[in-house]
Amino acid sequence: MPDREKILTLVLAGGKGERLYPLTRDRAKPSVPFGGTYRIIDFTLSNAINSGLRKIYVLIQYKSYSLQRHIREGWNIFSRELGEFVDVVPAQMRIGTDWYLGTADSVFQNIYFLNQEKPDMVLILSGDHVYKMDYRRIIEFHKKNNADLTVSVFEVPIKEAKRFGVVEINQNNEIQKFEEKPETPKPSPNNPDVSLISMGIYLFNTETLIRRIVEDAKKPESTHDFGKDVIPSTIGKDRVFAFPFIDENKKETKYWRDIGTIEAYYEANMDLVNVEPVLNLYDSQWPIRTFQEQLPPVKTVFSFGERTGMILDSIVGGGCIISGGKVIRSVLSPWVRINSYADVSESILLNNVNIGRYCKIRKTIIDKNVSVPQGTIIGYDPVEDKKRFFVSETGIAVIPKDYQW
Amino acid sequence: MAKKILVIEDETNQAILISETLEKHGYEVCSVSNGEDGLKKLEDTSFDLVVVDIRMPKMNGLETLANILGQRKNLPVIIYTSYPQYKTDFMSWAADAFIVKSSTGLEELVSKVKELISA
Repeated sequence: MPDREKILTLVLAGGKGERLYPLTRDRAKPSVPFGGTYRIIDFTLSNAINSGLRKIYVLIQYKSYSLQRHIREGWNIFSRELGEFVDVVPAQMRIGTDWYLGTADSVFQNIYFLNQEKPDMVLILSGDHVYKMDYRRIIEFHKKNNADLTVSVFEVPIKEAKRFGVVEINQNNEIQKFEEKPETPKPSPNNPDVSLISMGIYLFNTETLIRRIVEDAKKPESTHDFGKDVIPSTIGKDRVFAFPFIDENKKETKYWRDIGTIEAYYEANMDLVNVEPVLNLYDSQWPIRTFQEQLPPVKTVFSFGERTGMILDSIVGGGCIISGGKVIRSVLSPWVRINSYADVSESILLNNVNIGRYCKIRKTIIDKNVSVPQGTIIGYDPVEDKKRFFVSETGIAVIPKDYQW
Repeated sequence: MAKKILVIEDETNQAILISETLEKHGYEVCSVSNGEDGLKKLEDTSFDLVVVDIRMPKMNGLETLANILGQRKNLPVIIYTSYPQYKTDFMSWAADAFIVKSSTGLEELVSKVKELISA
């Protein structure tokens, strides 16, 4: 269906993810590893592919090396001869010399470049969120309403809505007001307990996009952000509708997460080790793809009393060796090694982490390429942990990439 | 001081006609005959508005507009062309106005200029 009209997909992947520090010390937020083998951006790109969208530009800027490599290695799967592509577009392609000033500016700076594709509609997505969505539904909704712009919205309890762009609608789903991080968010007309927040998913008719983006670029007082500036400027001028999110995750509660903080990151990963996680990674109808190298199978060895290699309530990437140690309620990326008598629980270990003998690790995130020396204890004494590491408000210790003892 | 307008137009007669009309309304006008020269002119002189044709040698009006947006995004640009079909062109939407050369074109041009910058 989407191929009858030409739809161009832009994934805004410049997010710094400052509140995810130190996981974003060396990488942009969309390339932060998630769920053992994925990166955050894989969810958005998988949604696009599963929705039949095959013309995708990923607009990048900040610390983009890791993201560029991931997309090259994992997403170079299209046929350019059929007009399909996932291309990485750095800042300053054709117009201007500035770094992108805001999300809208990243599109403005690429206007002439987008002109080559001449799409009928432009779908703007964020590379920062984890969710499953069939974008064909919003495209149908947009056409049915003869809209100029459609914003996908998600229901959250009123008191949580303050952190987001809040949308007010009338009975026809037409947006009356769009306010970024309001003091007192208005409830949804259909349910007084919730507010409708923008998911950062915008479907524009191309003409509307270009006109509003250029107008915004010319406003000196603008921060050139879609949520703060461009979307509010369309209200009252264009036909702007709110699309109520339809979740492909097929669970009781709808799943959409802005993995914005260390706590949110931790909780979203820990959800995956539950018996019935909210986010289902095992649905063959809505596959989430990523880059994975060829990996040997996971191995557990030793079964002598205390020296038993075991994994319980966890997800574990390929190439891991659990050698005489215990892993409980944890998420392990590929190539992790747990040595004898070590005890790892409620933790997230990224690629190439080595846990030495007799270590006790709890509620800890360990970034790539870290070798934890024998007998180290983390996650049991917050005062001690704070002396050495970043510790979040709720007591999650984070060991940065390449940390040396 | 009179506001300054840069006219980028390759047909001499048209350029004269536009310039004289705008001058009559109190604007100071400078004209060049293609996009490349227009961009050069913009580098060394400051203008308050640009009127640009689309079909021109060396660099067409839409590409010129893209370049102007990159360097001086606050400078208003009016496309003034004989070809209405460009109105649906992606790049035309980025202009402040799109006016077709017709019997009433010049009048429209003047009133749009006045709307964007008063003399």
